[in-house]
Amino acid sequence: MNASKQRSRAVFAECVCDSPSDPVDLGLQVISALARAFYKDPLVDDFPACGSFSRSLMKLIDALAVARRPVAENASVLKVFLACGFTPLHLETFLAAALSDRSPLERAEIDTGLFGDLAGNIERIESGECDVLVVLIEWQDLDPRLGTRSLGGWDVDDLPDIVNSTERMMARLEKAIVGVPGSIPTYISLPTLPLPPLFTTSSQQASSYELQLRLCINRLAAALARHSRIRIISTQSLDEMSPLAGRFDIQSELSAGFPYQLAHASTIAELLAALIRGSGSKKGLITDLDDTLWSGILGENGVEGISWHLDQHTHIHGLYQQFLASLASAGVLTAVASKNDPALVKQAFEREDLLVSNKSLYPIDAHWGPKSESVRRIVKTWNIAADAVIFIDDSPMELAEVKAAFPEMECLLFPKSDPPAFWQLLRRLRDLFGKSIVSEEDSIRLQSIRSAASLPDSSNGDSTSLDTFLREARASVVFIIGKQKDDRRAFELINKTNQFNLNGKRLNETSWTNYLNDPSSFLMTVSYEDKYGPLGKIAVLLGHRQGAVATINYWVMSCRAFSRRIEQQSLRWLFEEFRLQEIHFDYQQTERNQPIYDFLCSIGGAPRAGEASISMASFFEKCPPLFHQIKATVNG
Amino acid sequence: MDNLEHRLVRCFSSVFPSLNEDQIRNASVDSVPDWHSLASVTLISVVQEEFGVQVGLADLPNLVSFSAVQNYVQHHVAT
Repeated sequence: MNASKQRSRAVFAECVCDSPSDPVDLGLQVISALARAFYKDPLVDDFPACGSFSRSLMKLIDALAVARRPVAENASVLKVFLACGFTPLHLETFLAAALSDRSPLERAEIDTGLFGDLAGNIERIESGECDVLVVLIEWQDLDPRLGTRSLGGWDVDDLPDIVNSTERMMARLEKAIVGVPGSIPTYISLPTLPLPPLFTTSSQQASSYELQLRLCINRLAAALARHSRIRIISTQSLDEMSPLAGRFDIQSELSAGFPYQLAHASTIAELLAALIRGSGSKKGLITDLDDTLWSGILGENGVEGISWHLDQHTHIHGLYQQFLASLASAGVLTAVASKNDPALVKQAFEREDLLVSNKSLYPIDAHWGPKSESVRRIVKTWNIAADAVIFIDDSPMELAEVKAAFPEMECLLFPKSDPPAFWQLLRRLRDLFGKSIVSEEDSIRLQSIRSAASLPDSSNGDSTSLDTFLREARASVVFIIGKQKDDRRAFELINKTNQFNLNGKRLNETSWTNYLNDPSSFLMTVSYEDKYGPLGKIAVLLGHRQGAVATINYWVMSCRAFSRRIEQQSLRWLFEEFRLQEIHFDYQQTERNQPIYDFLCSIGGAPRAGEASISMASFFEKCPPLFHQIKATVNG
Repeated sequence: MDNLEHRLVRCFSSVFPSLNEDQIRNASVDSVPDWHSLASVTLISVVQEEFGVQVGLADLPNLVSFSAVQNYVQHHVAT
């Protein structure tokens, strides 16, 4: 019995002990107690006062302890180059601690450069020197006169020259950062400290020179943010967490060359660590309808009685619809679980003023049964794990019911009568579903899931209907073999796929590059398309080849691509293209990779004692009919 | 050991993790090889954060032993 069930039973037993004689009262008491036991108000408990960032800041004394905490000898190492023009001092400690806190099994090794030479520190970085580059820009790095340690003059005549030299340094920094070798992921903090009082205006008035400086830095940031490997710390988040007046420590700057107050340094380190080692984003959102997607009860108020507009004081529901449409357009799966009359729901979605289309919401599961049944069906349709899904409802009771069935799912209250809490909810959701880049695969995800719904269920053993379906699907598979180190999609798939995953092993930038630098290694990517539309790049294999034997060390395939026999086609193509006699698999069981175990068993490669392999003869004997058209490119 | 001393020992321990409590109470710039300028800056920062005091630039050169730091903190926290 799992912990959730045990907890439910304990709650139930408590209720029965003090039970009222009326069974209806008892039922209500049980539901209410379950709600209390399982439902935690996220708007109270999970949202910090400072905004959307929920971790508390570390003190220096704790950071020193965490940074020195021993890690396993075989722990992987994350090499960070911290490029700044000042003495990194406590920031280095805070960053090491924040990274260690987020990845306890990884050891962060932080290297720093020369004092007062930010651009030079970046320009001197060599390929393979670090896994991650952190760049902290402060005003004095752009022109020393914008700091306090140099005395170059703040005369009126100096101001245009300060702006000019800042522009020149910006150009040098942009060139240096963009030119860093080896596609090193780069995280940038823009100037965080207040400008010194060098302008002629009072502090209440922005000087034109100050505005020119800020324009320069914003131009630089916008130019850098266009590169997929470069991420800029959000100044809005930093402003919320670290008030401007509490950032600069002039005494520390003058005595030790470290310009930050400790709390500010801790905040920057936390934000950097969150960007560098952020948790994976969620994949799907299931929403309730009544008093959530819209205001009102569809069954009582009718299709025209529900609302989401300013004049009816129900505008937050409109904002919520707009937000869901935004998530859906970025590739987040969105669905509906509602206790409602399905015919009425269908009518409601025909209203033209809805801000989220029923084309973006799939599936829409409306009936009068428990919400957890809907959630189960939706998660099965999406074929993703429940912990990658957020469920939103205005009823704590419904949240508790779903939470009891899916303890790993995050269930959030829709605060229909509390606009500030609603605003926090939107910000929380943006964090949970945040992604740096919207890829081509994101834009076709929902379409491919809809088309997968028309696949026959092969789990019932009816291979004939699957054969017929696949034969008529007009599918084509594209294989590309090579060593494309800058293939972000392949890298992303390796690091986020769970179910069809040979061993659950992940790769960081360095190990990815090192793997592909090995002359015997190969990277194979697989893209798929059929008459229902493209799935995009959905599988990656990494392996080594030696004569007629290949060893596959990494193999992942998106769950959207299941039941199309792409995995069989991949092996068949490898056997034939490279004239292989045998393929070994670096298989390891994980909590979630049952699908790949089942597949290996189905082709005669059942893992034994952690090893799996299959011969060509055995594979072709067990391989089912394949109907794909093949396109292949072999580079090296 | 009073509360202030206990907290101060913890501060020293975070900067000089190899020292035991007795060694910390007797620690000074001369007796602790690791007590260099960087360690001084870190130690003073930890103490400032822990006790909410601001150590003036002029006082820094005098804080060269556990007892000196303890006296400083006692004086400034009390006032």
